[in-house]
Amino acid sequence: MNATAGATARDYFSLFQLEPDFVLDETALERAYHALLTQFHPDRYAGKPQVEQRVAAQFCADINSGYRILSDEVSRAEYLLQQAGVDLVAAERAGVESTFLMTQISLREQLEELGPSDAAGRLDLTADIQGHYTASRDQFAKTLAVDAYLDAARHWQEMCYLSKLLSEPKLRAG
Amino acid sequence: MVLLQIAEPGAAPEAHTERQIGVGIDLGTTNSLIAHFNGTDLNVLADEAGEASLPSVVYYSTSQTLVGSDAEQHASVEPGNTIASAKRMLGRSREEFEDDPYIQLAAGESLAFATDAGAKTPVEVSAAILGALKDRAGPQLSGPIAGAVITVPAYFDDAQRQATRQAAELAGIKVLRLLNEPTAAAVAYGLDEQAEESSLLAVYDLGGGTFDISLLRMRAGLFEVLATGGDSALGGDDFDRALAAHLLAELSIGEPTAVQRRVALSLARNAKERLSDMASVDLDVSGLDAGDHEITVSRSTLEVLLSPYIERTLDACRQTLTDASVDAVDRVVLVGGSTRTPAVRQAVANCFGLEPLCNLDPDQVVAMGAARQADILVGNRQGDEALLLDVIPLSLGLETYGGLVERIVDRNSTIPVARAQEFTTARDGQTGLVVHVVQGERERVEDCRSLARFELTGIPPMVAGAARIEVTFQVDADGILAVSAVEQQTGSRSEIVVKPAFGLDEAQITNMLKAGYEHASEDMLARKLGEARVEAEALLDGLQAAMAADGDLLSADETAALQSDMQNLEIVIAANQPDDIREATEILGKASEIFAARRMDRSIQKALQGVALSELESDVAEESTP
Repeated sequence: MNATAGATARDYFSLFQLEPDFVLDETALERAYHALLTQFHPDRYAGKPQVEQRVAAQFCADINSGYRILSDEVSRAEYLLQQAGVDLVAAERAGVESTFLMTQISLREQLEELGPSDAAGRLDLTADIQGHYTASRDQFAKTLAVDAYLDAARHWQEMCYLSKLLSEPKLRAG
Repeated sequence: MVLLQIAEPGAAPEAHTERQIGVGIDLGTTNSLIAHFNGTDLNVLADEAGEASLPSVVYYSTSQTLVGSDAEQHASVEPGNTIASAKRMLGRSREEFEDDPYIQLAAGESLAFATDAGAKTPVEVSAAILGALKDRAGPQLSGPIAGAVITVPAYFDDAQRQATRQAAELAGIKVLRLLNEPTAAAVAYGLDEQAEESSLLAVYDLGGGTFDISLLRMRAGLFEVLATGGDSALGGDDFDRALAAHLLAELSIGEPTAVQRRVALSLARNAKERLSDMASVDLDVSGLDAGDHEITVSRSTLEVLLSPYIERTLDACRQTLTDASVDAVDRVVLVGGSTRTPAVRQAVANCFGLEPLCNLDPDQVVAMGAARQADILVGNRQGDEALLLDVIPLSLGLETYGGLVERIVDRNSTIPVARAQEFTTARDGQTGLVVHVVQGERERVEDCRSLARFELTGIPPMVAGAARIEVTFQVDADGILAVSAVEQQTGSRSEIVVKPAFGLDEAQITNMLKAGYEHASEDMLARKLGEARVEAEALLDGLQAAMAADGDLLSADETAALQSDMQNLEIVIAANQPDDIREATEILGKASEIFAARRMDRSIQKALQGVALSELESDVAEESTP
């Protein structure tokens, strides 16, 4: 079996009554998420007929998926591109710009050279990657806002790469 | 018969004329307990002798089945017929225990104990314990038990949770929810109600034979298990053995007999318990050697003997904190009888830098928390209580080409959760594929735990990569998994509820229930009929109320179709045939699913209006604050 991109059914922005925008009020999302869960969690249906339990569990799973996708910037970006009908597989094949490729190689080299006890170097590199990430994210927001989906898809790939790099065990303290 | 109340989600519940009874059960490795919350008091229900803890031991002979201390008495004479610690084997496979010298396995492929009463699976042994707890509780409660919350260790995987549920089903207990043990302990202390700000909680659980440490995060009524750790072969029994060895050494008994060993152990246990309150104790050791004299054991001697074991628990605590990238916690809760030992309390306080919570009985705190949650779930309180959101302890995925694991649901995902992923075929003309479901964090299939394997057939022959197969994983609020696979073009479909690999199948359970397992006095038909009627009438009442409130969500045709199914169910109920009632209920249930979904969609608006309002209020409050 080979994995391909997954499909989504419900519009998560309207589920949480939010504008379908990359820039998002995280407090409002959190509040809506809790309000919906408080109402639809299976524990609220423990004594109800099975049909209601089933529908509630399915609904609650949707709420959890929606929250998981929208609360994270990278997956929210991906979701917005999917909703706009962008072919993400084709976009991945098209790749990123060569200047970003150079950045990628340079950051990866710095990570490899990082000594295990070099706390200052670790902080510097983390800040450096975070700076690149913020730049890519801002570019994503900008290009998406003017419906430049191919550019946006490229910046989304940069975000994916950089956020993955940030979660490298070598960059974690301790 | 009490009818279940159907309230519009979010609407004020109608007052129950009668209080529903929910119980909390701590199904432990060494001891089990049952507790009930009556609205004001949390009571652990004791047996006739006033003993709250039921030893998790079952004795099987050709003529009788005994549970608890009655069973324990047979342990030394008939060890093969006396089953202890069955919980360790719930949901596991036979291979994992084949080399265990202390277990006599029955012949065959499944994991079962060989007893004089035949092969007994860990599920059956657990069911006997649950049944004994239920029987003990019955006379002390004002009515029938509507349901139970049963606690499980936070690290229990899907198969172990399934097996626990099966045991309850076999004992005739309706499970409202499986609750993680550390979460239950936190609930017993009412920490769920205080958790407004995000805070971190460590639950230190030292029992007779196991040690567990769990790290929980609480925020706005959300309980999340961040990390768990521990040692499955470390506990208070080690304390007793260490002190017993010390006593034997003091008396220069180099090669103790079995009797001397047993006497020394029981003296040690007694001394350990008394030293929790006293600085030193004098032990009469005349049972150990010919001399007639006493040995004095001081608390400091005990502390020296225990310190290597306590240090091991602290190592596990530090490791778990590191795993979760946490430096400090806000609270520590003590669970398990061995935390009564002052040296343990002191060591935990030093390790975490704060006084642990221990004013509730550490042996009973898990059952008490479960009882509180059971009271909420049977519907005695609604609306204001915190939600206990659990996460799955291990990632779930599928085997893909080359023996690699494609992760579908990540560990620590909030449940219930459903995730779908599309796959395709690897070879030209491939018409079937095997869906192999695995659990674990590793990249390769052989390093993960295999949960289930099933086959999707009927894929039309196509070139490799052209078929579109959607695989959906659904994990319910108890952490139990169902997997389905659909080929998108033909709609060819296959699904499975993941069962413990060596558990019981539905038919086996039904047969055992029919055989009147452990409950011969109960009239099975009457019970089945009663259950079927409650479910059917609840559905009918609910639908009537729903149609009155939201009938506009249905077209005229849909309304007519539903009404006809409802009439049919009413006729069937009158005929008193449980199987027919179940079938008609199922048909009406399926038919009304879409209506239920539309109503939930509508009530989103209401749920979020409440949020908008409270947001407005908090904004006003902020503005008026100087």
